[in-house]
Parts: sequence; structure tokens; C-alpha cells
Amino acid sequence: MKRRTFLAGLVALPITSSVAGCGLSSNTASNSSASGQVTGEITFQTWSLKPKYTDYVNGVIDAFQKQHQGTTVKWVDQPADGYLAKVMADASAGSLPDVINVPPDLSFPLAKAGQLVNLDESLKDAKPEYLENAWQAFEIPGKGGCYGFPWYLNTGPIFYNKALFTQAGLDPNKPPTNFKELEQQALQLAQKKVAMLGQTPSIADFGLYGVKVFENDKFTFNEPKGVEFVETYKRMYDVGALIPEALTQNYTGAGAKFMAQQTALNPGSAYDLGKFKTDAPSLYANIGITKPITNTGSANMFLHGVSVPKSSKNQATALAFGRFVTNAENQVKFAKLASIFPSTSKGGDDPYFTTEDGSDEARVRVAAAKQLKTAVNYTPVQFSDQMREALLQQLADAMLGKKSAKQALDDAVAECNRLLK
Amino acid sequence: MKPAHYKLALRYLGLLSILAISIGPFLWQFATSIKGPGEDVFVPDFIPDDPTFGNYAAVAEVVPVWTFALNSLGVAGVNVITNCLGAAMAGYALARLKFKGRRFAAVIFASSILVPFEAILISLFLVMRGLGLTNTLTGVVLPGSIAALNVLLLRNAFLALPAEVEEAAVIDGANAWQRFTRLALPSVKGTLVVVALFSFMFSWDDFLWPLVVLSDQQKYTLTIGLAYLQGTFVQNQRLVAAGTIIAVLPLILLFLLLQKHFFRGVGEGAIKG
Repeated sequence: MKRRTFLAGLVALPITSSVAGCGLSSNTASNSSASGQVTGEITFQTWSLKPKYTDYVNGVIDAFQKQHQGTTVKWVDQPADGYLAKVMADASAGSLPDVINVPPDLSFPLAKAGQLVNLDESLKDAKPEYLENAWQAFEIPGKGGCYGFPWYLNTGPIFYNKALFTQAGLDPNKPPTNFKELEQQALQLAQKKVAMLGQTPSIADFGLYGVKVFENDKFTFNEPKGVEFVETYKRMYDVGALIPEALTQNYTGAGAKFMAQQTALNPGSAYDLGKFKTDAPSLYANIGITKPITNTGSANMFLHGVSVPKSSKNQATALAFGRFVTNAENQVKFAKLASIFPSTSKGGDDPYFTTEDGSDEARVRVAAAKQLKTAVNYTPVQFSDQMREALLQQLADAMLGKKSAKQALDDAVAECNRLLK
Repeated sequence: MKPAHYKLALRYLGLLSILAISIGPFLWQFATSIKGPGEDVFVPDFIPDDPTFGNYAAVAEVVPVWTFALNSLGVAGVNVITNCLGAAMAGYALARLKFKGRRFAAVIFASSILVPFEAILISLFLVMRGLGLTNTLTGVVLPGSIAALNVLLLRNAFLALPAEVEEAAVIDGANAWQRFTRLALPSVKGTLVVVALFSFMFSWDDFLWPLVVLSDQQKYTLTIGLAYLQGTFVQNQRLVAAGTIIAVLPLILLFLLLQKHFFRGVGEGAIKG
């Protein structure tokens, strides 16, 4: 983790300088139009989909090639580890693939450097095909334009450990429904030496609490509500309601602690149930599922998209393929395979996402699909990996009592705003 | 007599706890890799209820692990040869040959160790691209082919040889090349083994650089290939564990085979004199 954050900052430097050079010279003249012929060869890079979804992706590629005779799509898949470094290195060398799978926070630096094709300009009719909140996630605030086709979405319930709840004398059928209850129950659990949470709040958690995270081109999560939120966590930390590792933990680490039954509650995804079943069966036997805790009425969502770099030699085909991969039919098929959700405007209407068959999986899926309609990507696109690290460190200082909550947030905001420039 | 026994017991206790700390996680990983489906893998439980080696076979089914291993072996093998040869020659030149700027050259080598690899990643990638070596295994090998650390290790080993021996060889009419191959090289065998082992290990373990250079799955090395076991949505911890054991096995074997030379090499500068 450390290694990647370090890179993020470093890599951001050469990108703006060298990219402008290669990008501009190579593409303005020859092929900036999206209306060209859909033919020829393109490369499509995905984020860690091999080998589990190999058949699916190959199926999509075959269908595309059949529909557009004369096209060849070469698929490369990159492991999730180091994806950022790889994309940034390619970007500064001007050798990005024609279609790349990127989450919004990765598309943002590329788009800001003028590396990506603006879909609002090149494909004016594409917007209505996608959910509005998903399309917005790939817009660059303040600059206008959308720089990626929204692909899959994810959101999920909160999982909790009924056995640990019972052990601490709490009603296992009454999980917390708001932040106040979360704190009360956490304090009660802590008396029995059971930790509630495995992570200090992420930027998305601030959003869920109703904190104004980003406004007028600046980070603003040090507002009074943000301070109040961190103080809640501080009180929980002081009595041991957060595990000590929480101070440095990321999302994956917190998930592992929950599976090791060291924490009682963890936000998750629909596909986590399968994981619990195979990797932590004794947890699965006691798993409780409840709605996400939010002050705004909207749950958090994560999403991925596909972007087309301006450096692509074959933009017309790349754009056609990007749209094809993310069309309703292909997305619904993918969503069913991977327990995720489609970002197309009609995708969620599929009976698969609206009817329950009595299984836990279906229950989680239907609830998540419903919550997606209003879900928000609370993580601002400007929030880079480096800023995430800065927030984590400041929060750790606040938890340890080295700084007041207010001071820590002020410092975190100052650092994030500095990195923004 | 009694206090000595007591001390000895304490010492062994200390040693045992260090043993537990250092190989405990490894054993845990191994235990995970042979656990059957439906067992808890996130709680420390060193004895699987339903041991199976099926996970190892499954790794090979999920990713072409042998292709990856062969690529890794190729890269690591070439790295060992270039490092032993190149670093020995450079080290000898720095230690024994007299030329202008020798001290300066040594300082350059030493200071290049201090530059973190991440800092030069992008520029190195651009160089490789300029040479047309991206997406080739040659591109993976090149940056690590003669590591500065190895040059310095060998330089120090050569410096530890008594200068008189070499002067004698000069009087006997040996030229620099003859002194290097017949005299100097045979007496630093231990350090050469250390260099070989280090360079094998570094290139076998390297993740970031091959990841950035390569984009064709056929050319992937083992470390990147195994990252595929960490799927985006679902991952099977048992397969990940089995994969890491496969990856670390050659290193353990190599170390066991060479450990006699290894420890001699580490202390070489000290014993010779």
C-alpha cells in the first residue's frame, strides 16, 4: 500500500508535462474524430478480470467483432496490484491502450491532463443510456464533459456478527440503524472487549454522515459536522471499540479482520456472502445483514468505467467498443456473473435485481439494487491515493490524542488542497 | 552450575520465540494452502481438518503457472549470470585497476544505491520504450542486470585480497585479465555465491518493474502472474496461499543448497587477511 501511494504522487509530475507533449502532437491531426470508420485493431485493457471472467470478456469481444466486421480487439488484463503505476507509466509514454478500464479517481488525473476523449462531445447521444449518478461520476467537476463510459457499479449492505452481538448482551436482531446507535452499541460491545469496527472513517464515510466533503474546488470536510463525526470515532477508539490496527487499515484489511471475527460490523458487497461461505464458514453461520447507515438517505456506491485515450490511433472503433462493453445487455450479463450491478438506465429493471427467491444472496442483491437508485459516489474524483493516505494519518493522530479532531481535519484538508494543485 | 542451566534455558526460549515469529506466518500460509473448501482461513488454525493438495493443482488450472515460472526462471537466470560477470569485472576494476576517477566512480556506484527505484521508474520506462524493449523480457532483465550493490560487494571482496599476492603475479608476468580470472575470481567464490543468490532473489521477487514493462500475458513473470489469483470480486485465499508457496519454493531450495557458501561469503572479508 505504502509503495503505491508513494508512486501516485511521483507519477503525477511527469504526466502533466510529458503527456501534453506526446498527446497533443500525435492525435490532433490524424484521428480526433469519433465519426470515423469502425474497423481495424484496438487494445482493451481491463482491471483484474482474468481468469475468472475470461469467457465473459471473450464473448463480448466476439460479439463486437461479429457486429463490426473488420475489427480486431486485443484484450489485455492487468492485475489490480500496481494498476495505477502501470497506467501512469503508459500515460506518460503516450502508449495507453485504446480502451482502458478505470475507476473515476484514476480517470480524473488523465482527463485533467487532457488525455481522455470527452464523451459529451464525441458521442452526444450516449448519456441517456446510463444512470445519471453513474454518468456524473465520470464528469470532471468544474471542467465539464464526461470522460468514461460508466461500467459496473457496486454497493452493499452492512454485515454484522450476531454471535459477537449476543456475547455482549446486545439483541442480535437489532443492529444499529444510525450513527448514534452505532456508537451506543459499540460502547456496549467494548465493555465486553469486543471491537465494533476495523477502520477509521474513509472519505466516503464522511459523505454518509452528511459532511460536505468537497465544494467550490476545495476540500471542506473539516466543517463542524466533520469534526463531530471524528469525535464520535475518538470516543469509540478510546474505549476499544475500534481495533488498534484500525489506524492504518484499508478496506481490504478491515474485511479480513471481520472475517477473522475480530470486529463485529463491516460494510460489504453482495459478493462478500460467497466469500464468507467458503473462507469463514463459522462467521457465515452467524452473519447478520442490515441496511447501510447514512444520514443523507443515500448509500455509497463504487463504480468502474471504461475510457478512451486521445492517443488512440483508432478512436472511432475504441469508442464504439467502449459503448458496446457497457451497453445494457452486456452489463446485465456481467452483473449476474459477478454479483455486481449494471450502470445502464434500464439495467436494474431486470427481474434478477427485483425479485427475491428466499436466499440470502437474492435478498442482499435486491436490497442493494434498490439502494443504488439513489446511491452516490461519495468519494470525490479529485481524492487521490495520496490524499487518502494523508487523511488516514491525520485521523490516526486524532485517535491517539496527539491532535484534536478539529486540528487533524484542518491539517488533512490543508494537505489535500495542497495536493489538489 | 544451576545459574548456567537457567541461562541456557532462557537463551533457547528466546531463540524458539524468534523461530516462531519468523516461520509462524509461513507455516500459517502453508496450512491455508492445504485447507479444503469450507474451512475457516482467517483464524490461526495450523492443522487443517481436511488437508488436500488440490489447491496446488487448481493454481495451475487457473493461471498458466508453468509458463510464468519459466519466464521468471529465464529472467532470474540471466540476471545471475550478468550480475556475477559484470559486477565482478566492475568490482575488480574499482578495487585493483588504477585509472583516473576511480574513487569518483566508486562513489557514483555507492550513491546510486540510495536512489529508490520508484523515483526512476517512469524515466526508465521511457528509456525502454525508446529502445523498443517494452513488452520484452530483455526489458525486464536490463535495469537489474548489473546491480550497484553487487559491484560494491565484490569490490570489497577484491580489496580484502592481500595486494602482495597480486604484486607477485605481476612479477610473474600476468596481465590484468589473467590476474582477474586466475587469481582474483577464484578467491572470492563465496561472495560470488552471495551475489548470485541475491540477484536471483531480487529478480525472482520483483513485481513493479516487470508489471510496468510487460503487457502480454504470455510474457508475464511469476510474481505478476500470481497476482491474477487475487481476483477483483472474489478471491480464493487457499489458491493465493498455494501460489505463494509455489513462488517461494525455489528460493528456499536454492538457499538450502548454497547455504554453506552463503555464510562463508558473508564473512569472507573478515576471515581472509
